[in-house]
This record gives sequence, structure tokens and C-alpha cells, in this order.
Amino acid sequence: MIQFLIKRFIGLIFVIIGVTFITFIMGYFAPGDPIAFMLGQHFTTAQYVSLRHYYGLDLPWYQQYFNFLKNLVTLNFGLSYEIKGRAVIDILKDGVPISLELGLWALFLQVIIGVPVGIFSALKANTWIDTTNQGIVLFMYAIPSFVLAVFAQVIIIALDQGTGINWPVSQWGTPWQYSWSDIQFKLVPILVYAAIGIAYFARLSRTTMLEVLRQDYVRTARAKGMRERVVIYRHALRNAMIPLVTVIGVSVGFLVTGAFFIEQIFNIPGIADITIASISSRDYPVIQATTVMLAIAVVLANLVSDILYTIVDPRIKLA
Amino acid sequence: MDTKDQFNPPEAIMPDTGAIPISPDITNPAQSLDLPAPAAVDEKKLQKPPVSPFRESLQRLRRDKRAMISIGIIAFFVLVAIVGPFIYQHVDAPLYKSNIDGNTYPGTVYRSYYHSELDRQDELPSNQYWLGTNEIGQDILARLMQGILVSLSVAVVVEIMDIVLGILIGVLAGYFGGWIDQLLARFTDLMFAFPGLLFVILLTGIFGTSADSFFSHIPVIGPNGNARLLLVSLALAFTIWPLMARYVRGQTLQLKEQQFIEAARTSGTTDVHIILRHIIPNLFSIVVVAATLDISNTIIGEAGISLLGLGVQAPGSSLGLMIADGAQFVNTHPWEVLVPSVTLAIIVLTFSFFGDGLRDAFDPRSKD
Amino acid sequence: MAENLLEVNNLKTYFFTRAGVVKAVDDVSFSMQPGETLGVVGESGCGKSVTALSVMRLVATPPGKITGDILFNGDNIMDKNRDELTELRGSKISMIFQDPMTSLNPVFTIGYQIAETVKRHRKDLSNDQAWKRAIEMLDLVRIPDAKRRARNFPHEFSGGMRQRVMIAIALACNPQLLIADEPTTALDVTIQAQVLELMKGLSKEFGTAVMLITHDLGVVAATCEYVNVMYAGHIVESAPVKQIFETPAHPYTVGLLHSIPRLDDQRGVRLNPIAGQPPDLLNPPPGCPYAPRCPKVQLRCRQERPELKPVGRGEQVAACFYPD
Repeated sequence: MIQFLIKRFIGLIFVIIGVTFITFIMGYFAPGDPIAFMLGQHFTTAQYVSLRHYYGLDLPWYQQYFNFLKNLVTLNFGLSYEIKGRAVIDILKDGVPISLELGLWALFLQVIIGVPVGIFSALKANTWIDTTNQGIVLFMYAIPSFVLAVFAQVIIIALDQGTGINWPVSQWGTPWQYSWSDIQFKLVPILVYAAIGIAYFARLSRTTMLEVLRQDYVRTARAKGMRERVVIYRHALRNAMIPLVTVIGVSVGFLVTGAFFIEQIFNIPGIADITIASISSRDYPVIQATTVMLAIAVVLANLVSDILYTIVDPRIKLA
Repeated sequence: MDTKDQFNPPEAIMPDTGAIPISPDITNPAQSLDLPAPAAVDEKKLQKPPVSPFRESLQRLRRDKRAMISIGIIAFFVLVAIVGPFIYQHVDAPLYKSNIDGNTYPGTVYRSYYHSELDRQDELPSNQYWLGTNEIGQDILARLMQGILVSLSVAVVVEIMDIVLGILIGVLAGYFGGWIDQLLARFTDLMFAFPGLLFVILLTGIFGTSADSFFSHIPVIGPNGNARLLLVSLALAFTIWPLMARYVRGQTLQLKEQQFIEAARTSGTTDVHIILRHIIPNLFSIVVVAATLDISNTIIGEAGISLLGLGVQAPGSSLGLMIADGAQFVNTHPWEVLVPSVTLAIIVLTFSFFGDGLRDAFDPRSKD
Repeated sequence: MAENLLEVNNLKTYFFTRAGVVKAVDDVSFSMQPGETLGVVGESGCGKSVTALSVMRLVATPPGKITGDILFNGDNIMDKNRDELTELRGSKISMIFQDPMTSLNPVFTIGYQIAETVKRHRKDLSNDQAWKRAIEMLDLVRIPDAKRRARNFPHEFSGGMRQRVMIAIALACNPQLLIADEPTTALDVTIQAQVLELMKGLSKEFGTAVMLITHDLGVVAATCEYVNVMYAGHIVESAPVKQIFETPAHPYTVGLLHSIPRLDDQRGVRLNPIAGQPPDLLNPPPGCPYAPRCPKVQLRCRQERPELKPVGRGEQVAACFYPD
């Protein structure tokens, strides 16, 4: 197990280096001169040089990269270009709990809703229930999240006008609080955010369950006289779950992309939203920081799913 | 031996001894077996001449109603994007006198995607503006058609790069292995570490504005906010070709092991010839299916990037941009956001269905 | 005469498919005594496996349909409901299958898989007792170091050992009938002999009747008391094992025996396959199913279907017009 972890960790390091390097290089070659921008119309050479030095931009590129990496370890994402001397982490820190709340709930719902729907579909394969499910799931999977978000908003507004419920269609309540008002703000964005993942898990669990039900050992279980419920929920399900564990990384990937769209349409002040705003003010360190954070999140999720896979499937020997 | 006794089984599903039970349903104990009349065996099928696998797949495709309808819809959208504006600008488009600046404009102007009449904001469909106007008085139908054109153009450009790079690198990696293969593997891992659109966001976020000024000198693209599309296309292509290359590499590896390749090799055929004549033609099905599904994702990607403000800029139009603009007014003028949303949903679903249909036609075994 | 352990009357198992009706088992009748070893032989597709699955009612009943009577100790299995069937399976009638590599659930230990059967049918036993019984069974099927190995997973065992585990599972609740569907086909020849010997020994020790399905006449010769020869969903001959080999009556049986190469054949002697193909079960010809390939065929054979009638001495029966 230790050997396996070490190997994976080294792979992880390589990927992180790759991602951080590309992110850094893009920032290095970014057009425009942030120092001049910050100093405004009139400035002396001395002021320019000292500000440049303050931001470490007079160092050779490899040293800048090294500092970049070194700082990352301490979660220091550098300084903002928009407001002199303001730390990037400062800008982002309010958005982190919000994006985290959105993401974790979405991930939770994806599994809690998606998997049972898929299993149910598999058990009722080729009936009208299955066909209907497949249709709905296809819809949720193929349509982009921002379109679903818009549809959801329109529906809520129509409901508001029709029944006077008055649910909000944008913004977020208080992070990690769940009063009725908070739920009103959060329920729909989370559901829309989770939709594509729910569809993905539903399709996948349906496929794996059908595959498992065809296996010989399911037939053996029946021949042993096990009741049908035991056959399905103990013998079959346990095997069908295994491949699902391996796609946790993929679904976190969906979440990362979706974050930008959901936060945009629903006007939620998470880190994706803040990042987009920073782009228009050319505050590149912010987007570098967000990119690195999100990429590492996905890489870690992949690592977790690999580890879970070895735990859950007794056939996997950790060579 | 009497030839009548040689039975050629038609496409029968014969139970394999030992692989039968799926889900025994034992709630119906002994019933009398009243047999329904067996399905008529198609005698003609037994004697049809052999057809090449490619044509067989095409036949399967033609029989798939969902796929055929999808192709029809796609063709419709292509038509709309290309000739739509011209038709729209000339049909039932009398001269219009603007209340803002007093000039008189023909249909080619006020029904273009960039012209705005500031006193005609947020209108619902009318004779003059068939799908109404947006919040700065621009013709929604014109902008929609332009947006479709943008989506399809980006999809085409990206797909060409995707297919070319994917096949080139994939075949080389699969056929020759070695450092090319290693390089591809590392590169793919790297691109996979950037989830989804993150790389595109990064690239367009940082280099977007300079791309605007840089590319606007190229004719056709021009300064109508479309210059950034080239950057977006490049970025999108950059992120999706590794996956295509992976598929191609896998298929090449499989093909390489087949006997007809070995036969060609031993008879002295050069590698280049083998690749061009034997391997690439056999990649067709996997590339076509992957490309169609990639088109779906590319269209979503471009719309998403434009929605975030990183793609097409005003006064240009993109479905994503229209959605972003309209979303601000979903409370008061939902029409403006629904039109591009529904259109995008239809386009994407259509390509999805078509891709599924292609996959079923060319590789029916991949069905459940 | 003792009551028949198993009496199958007019069993028909048909599958309704898009292309038509597949008559996998077409009016089969036979019986077994307690403790008897019956071999069921035939080519692939002759219906022997489907017969076995039908006895346990493990056939998927859409698209399949079973008619006829299956009397086990006098009770008709066809009248039983789902719950009663699950009581029966694994405790009174057990089955083992052909491919030991895929017949065991990969995520449970083998000890668990045996104990599970025990706990299912012996509600009076505790978990500990069930586990002990599992280890006992592993010892019985000669898995070395049973106590430790009971905690291993199936992938940690070889094919032959996995099949023994299957036998352990099947016999754990001391069934009266064990159905073995090609149990050794997927195993190496040397392992085959071991497993067969094991089965034979255990069946004698516990008085378990065994229905052994196989395409290998050698296996039949080594282990069975009686033999049913099946072809295209029918039983064409049935006899004590000695008579099948010494005085085969049905031309198919004769053909089968002749097609087996012998150790004492001269070099260069041609093999004798049976000419032709097995019939299409979708459109079986009228009359005797073997008629198209039968060297002794008469006009009558293609029109009427022969019934099983006594032939030769003793209990031998064959379905053929030829002896006439």
C-alpha cells in the first residue's frame, strides 16, 4: 500500500508541476504591463523599479517560477495586480466557502440521486420506466448546465407569478447556514449544478448493474436458494458499485467546469465568479490561483478514487 | 445428402447452453403452452449478396430514424446560418426610418446582427423584428442566426484541427511507439489534469484582449468582436485533440496486430504506404463517431466561453453571449434568454443524437 | 420400488425470440432414484443444460416458458411459488456450473459464500456454527489449510480449487440431488479426474443423487450408473452405462462412440465425425430430429417422431425405428 501511494504521489507531483508551470508561463507572457497599470499616468523610474521589485517581477523566469511554487505550498498565491499589495488569497477567501458548499452538496446529490436512479433503471430494464428514465437522463446530460440554469430560473419565475411563492432566482444565502430563506436560495442552483453529474452516475450505474446481473455468480447465488432481494442488493450491487468509485475524479472535473457557469447565471459570489470579474480587470494572479486550486482539487479527487478502488475491489493487488 | 436438410440459421437468438438465465420470473407456474405463430423467417435475407462493412453501417444508419431526423435538423441549421441572414434581410423588409438618428435604413442594415435601434428595446416578435429585439434594440433573429453561424464555424474549425492532429499524432504514436507515444501519454495526462474548460478560460482570460487586436487585421474575421473566436477555437482544439489521439492510437494498436498488416509488411510495403492505405481508412468509424460527439462539446464550450464574456465580444453575437445578456433580464423579459437557450439546447441534443446514431450504426456491439 | 427422487414428465422449454420459437427442450421425460448417478450426454445445443436449469426453474421465463411436470419426492416443482423454490434450491437440490472462474462472487470470501448457504437454509445455526460448517466443507472437498483459506477470495484460488469450493457450497446443506452442468469441461485433464473422483466419493458417502451433464463420454464412463443421450432437445436413448457403451441402440449414440479416437487406433486412421450439422432449433424438421444425419434413415423417420421404447435387454430404451 505504501509503495502504491508513493508512486501515485510522484505522479501527482509531476502533474502539479505541469499545471503550475503552464499557468505560470501564461501569466509570465501575459500582455500589458501590470506595474505601469498600477502606477497610473505619472510615475518616476525609481517608483517603477521599486514596485517591480516589490512584486518580484525583475527576477529571471525560473526564479519567479520557483518562488511561485514555494509560495503555493504555504497557500500564498501572490499579490493582486489590481490593488497594490493586496494578497490574492484575500480576494478569493470569501468565495471559497461558498464554492465549497455548492460543490460538496452537488457531489453528494449526484451520488445519492444518480446511483439509485440508475440501479432502478437497470432492474426495470426495457420497461417504460427504464425508457422514460433514459430519456430524462439523456436530456440532463446533453444539455449544458447554463441552459438548464436558465430554464430553472424561468420556471421559478413563472411559478412565482402563478402562485406567489416568491423564490429567488439569484444570489446565495449565508454560507453553510440552512434557514428556510437560505434553502430557497440554494436548492435550485445546487440541483442544476448536480444535474449533469446525476445523469452521468445514473447512466453509469445502470450499465454496470446490467453487466453484473448477467454474470455467472449471480446465477450461482440464485442456485443457492438466496432470495431475489439478497441476490440483487447483496451479490449484484456490491459488484456494480466498484466501477462507480473510479469515476469520482471525473465527476469532480464536471463540477469544476460547471462552477463557472452556475455562479455566473445564478449570481453566486464563489471563487469562479470572483475570478471572472478579475479577468476583466486584468488581475491575472487571481486566475492563476484559481486554476491551480481547481486543478489540484481534481488531481486529489482522482487520487482518492484510485485509493478507494483498491480498497473496494479485493482483486486489486497493490503492486 | 439432401440440400434441403442443410439449415442455415437466420439471425436467430439461440440460447447458449449454460448462459441462459437472466432474471428468472417464477411467479407463473405451469401454463398451457399456446404458441404464438413464429415470426416469419426472412428467406430473402438468407440469400443477399455480401456488402462491405462500410455500406452495411450506412444502411444501418439510414434505418435509424432518430439519426436521420437529426441530420435533417442539422442541415436545417446550417442552411439557416448561411443563407438565413440574406433571406431575412430581403424578405418583407421595407425601409425603416430610425427615430434616433433620423436616417432611413434598408433591411440589410436594421436586420443585421450588430445594428441597434435604441428606442426599440425589448420588443416581442413583430413584423419588423421576427423574433423581437434585445435590451439595446438589436434584432434577435439576426443575432440568433449569427450565433448559430459562429457555433458551427467554430465547431468546424476545431474539428478539423482535432481530426488532423488526432490522426497524425495518434497513428504515429500507435504505429511507431517509442518517444512519440511517450510524449503523447505525458501530454494527455497534462491536458486531463486541466478539468474541462479551465485551460480555455485561462488562455482566453489572459490573452483575450491582445488576441482581439492581433487577429482583427485578418479579413473575414474583422473587428466585429469575432477576432477572439480564433483564439477560442485554438484553445478548444488544444484541449480536445489529445483524447482523439488516444482513441486513434488505441485503434492503430489493434489494427497493427492484425494479420493483414503483417502480410503487407512481409511483402515489403513501406510503413508510409501501410499507414495511408491500410490503417487510416480503418480509423474512419472511430474518428467520425468521436468527432461528432466532440462537436457537441465544442459548441457547448464556445457558448460557455462567450457566456463568461471571454469569447465573442459585442457587437458580435454568439449563442452564449445572447444567453448572458438575456439572463440579466430573465425576470422582466424572459423571451430574450429563452430564444438562444432553446436553440442551443436543440443544436446540442441533435448532434448528440446523431453521434449516438453513428456509434450504433458503426459499432452495434457497443449497445447495452 | 422406491419412490422416484426426481420424475420429469413431458418437459418442454421453449424460448420465444424475435426470430421465432426455439424449442430447446422438446418433450423430455426421465426419472432418477435416490443416490443414483445419471449422466446426460449430447453435443452443444442439444438441450442438456436447459433441461437441468429447467428442473431448478432457473430459466429466464420471459423469454422462456416451461411446461410439463417436475416431481421431486412426489411434489410438483412447477406448482411452487417463488419463496418455496428458494427454499428448495441449495438445500434439497443444488447445482454447480461449468466455469469456476466466473461462478464465484469476487468480492466475498469463499468461507462467506459457503456459510451464506448454510445460514440461509439452517436458520437454527449461529454465525459461528455456519462458519465452522463452511470450514468442515472445505476440508471435505480437500482444500488444504481450510481454516486459513476460508478467509481468502476466489481470485486467490486456481480453477480446480474453485470448482471444489463450488462443490462445497452445493453440498453444504446435504442436498438429495446435485446437478452438475459440465463441471470439469473448463478444467485441465488431470484436475478433471480429481474433481470427478471427489464428486463420486462424496455422493456415495452422503447418498446424494447426481445428474452429471457433459459432452464427454469418457467422463460418463468413469462416473455414471445411467445415461441419457440427448439430441436436439429430445432424449434419444437411455440405458445403464454398460449397455450404452457395449450395445448402443440409437444410431446417434453409435455415431458418438465411433467418433471418439481410441488410444489403440493405428496411425493414419481417419477420424469418424458424424456428418452434417445439428438441426436448427427454430425450425426443427418433422419426424426424428436425427433423420438428416442418420445413416439408417428410412422414409418413416422423416414423417413420424419415434418414441422411446425398450430395446435390447433390461432398462435400455431408444427412440428409433431402425431396430424394426
